[in-house]
Amino acid sequence: MIFNQIFDMVNLGLVILDKEYRVYKWNRWMELHSGIEAEKITGQPVFDFFPNLNNPSFLRNCKSVFTFGNFSFFSQKLHKYFFPFKTETLIGSTFEYMQQSCTMGPLRDADNNIQYIFLSVQDVTEIVAYEKQLFMLSVKDGLTGIYNRRYFERRLKEEFERHLRYRRPLSLIILDIDFFKKINDKFGHQCGDFILKEISRTISNNLRKIDILARYGGEEFCCLILEAQLPSALIIAERLRKTVAESQFNFKGTLIKSSISLGVSSVQNEINSSEALLKKADVALYKAKENGRNRVES
Amino acid sequence: MTIEKILIIDDSPIARKIIKSCIPKDKEYDVSEAQNGKEGLEKFKENQPDVTFLDLTMPVMGGVECLEAILKFSKRAKVVVVTADVQIKSISKVTEIGAFRVIKKPPSKEGLQKVLMDIQNNPGE
Amino acid sequence: MKADHSSALSTEQKEILQEVMNIAFGKASADLADIIDIYVALSVPNILIMPASKVKNYIENEVKDYGIIDIVKQQYWGEFKGIAFLIFSSGAGKKLISLFQKNENLSFDSEPIDAMEKETLVEVGNILIGACVGKLAELLGDILTYSPPVAMIEQKPADSISKNTFDLNCTAIILKTVFRFENEDVCGNLFLTTSNKSIHWLKKALNKILDEYE
Repeated sequence: MIFNQIFDMVNLGLVILDKEYRVYKWNRWMELHSGIEAEKITGQPVFDFFPNLNNPSFLRNCKSVFTFGNFSFFSQKLHKYFFPFKTETLIGSTFEYMQQSCTMGPLRDADNNIQYIFLSVQDVTEIVAYEKQLFMLSVKDGLTGIYNRRYFERRLKEEFERHLRYRRPLSLIILDIDFFKKINDKFGHQCGDFILKEISRTISNNLRKIDILARYGGEEFCCLILEAQLPSALIIAERLRKTVAESQFNFKGTLIKSSISLGVSSVQNEINSSEALLKKADVALYKAKENGRNRVES
Repeated sequence: MTIEKILIIDDSPIARKIIKSCIPKDKEYDVSEAQNGKEGLEKFKENQPDVTFLDLTMPVMGGVECLEAILKFSKRAKVVVVTADVQIKSISKVTEIGAFRVIKKPPSKEGLQKVLMDIQNNPGE
Repeated sequence: MKADHSSALSTEQKEILQEVMNIAFGKASADLADIIDIYVALSVPNILIMPASKVKNYIENEVKDYGIIDIVKQQYWGEFKGIAFLIFSSGAGKKLISLFQKNENLSFDSEPIDAMEKETLVEVGNILIGACVGKLAELLGDILTYSPPVAMIEQKPADSISKNTFDLNCTAIILKTVFRFENEDVCGNLFLTTSNKSIHWLKKALNKILDEYE
């Protein structure tokens, strides 16, 4: 009698499916979060109500549990959620749906044959939201809010590997603010900070969503331009240069003009490492400085 | 055709024992054994058994090679493959080469009896 | 108390375990091919018996040619209890991602590659280990439960198994098989370890099978 109560009392979703993926049991937690009553869904194919479950990974794991009697574990990291339920927590409001961690396991009859599988659903939205906050803190630059160097170097390595494996084009822009030290000396560090924030915002607004912008050093920034070869990257770099050069930054009533120098590189045959890609852009940046600043070189 | 001589080729002594124990006890069969493909082929040539039970995963000439060699030696040889490797690919391969039947391990008394009966009743198959 | 290694298996029991494993892994690879839609060849398994204190070194030695490894660990409990180690040469995770995702959408701007790699290893490892250990347990008349598997990528063999994993006073049985995912040429070693708490039950189960065929 106590065990029957557990099924509906636990703070956990419990679904039992038969071999045809029909719902055999649907517990109270599932009713509450889905808005679907047990009587309505019991006996029906679960895919009628949740067509998103009818995918290769889910089916593969169900088959495995029915055949081998093992367990399947679906972490939130890869699967996000199985059942699209609204989330209730405030901190979880960054997610469209409740984030779930699920486990699947066998249920046997009196002859020890596997007749059903259970699916347990755990709400991990708060934990994940918190993790995300921590992650953001560790990868973002405090002042400008764009990515920091540590994150950039990781992404550079990863994207370079993706390039190696799938032969995707990849370009890199290194830029720094011309005469930044002079701005600090003339207008003070608060103004310097303001300029850093404004310029990084300007650059960010002129990059595509998939590109990765990071603060690499004091006044140095790096952009990873994905899926782009050199000509496209040069166009982007020139657009950045022009936009900054034509902007006026208003710091507490003082109008300030600034400019940036940019070095661009792109993956080609002779570039065999992410470090080489970075080095090439760096050399180009140096060239831009030598050739008078407020320019793009490659 | 009456079955009198049986040859069992398998590298596992237990597997050979299991097959032996599944052979019907209604009469005295002349049962010989071999523990790899090479020995199996030699014993086949020597004894000319009516039925051969053959395992697939063996050292020193594997099951498939042995099957081919036996059939080359005697086109009408009745070879029953008894194997743990039950992938469709493997089963159709040996059937194509000319195995009389494929039985999954572990064999059962009923299963073995049926095969022997089938061989007895359909010698030309 | 010195471990009593003679309480380990007799020759006949070893032979029957060998045959049971042969059958279990044969069935497992057929079922696997069906479920993950990829042909997996499992080799004829080896049985080794040694003091538990030697297990770590043995496993590390077996995979030393791989250099850096990816490893999946999972515990299983039943009468037959122990730990499974699935060890690939590093980079296997990446190859398996493309194998698994070939029919599904692979978006390039999704999770970082190493998170996906780990998750793929966990999923594949879970199914592979479940297939082998599960079938083996089934033939021996046992039912198992499993811990969630844990994957680690780019490890040095010496760092991947902690010294505390095994109860050092025990005798360990290691069942080892080499497997290959044929299309991707991904190959690795599966080690199933158990200690003498289970060996007693194992002997009974093996004898039971032997008796059936006397």
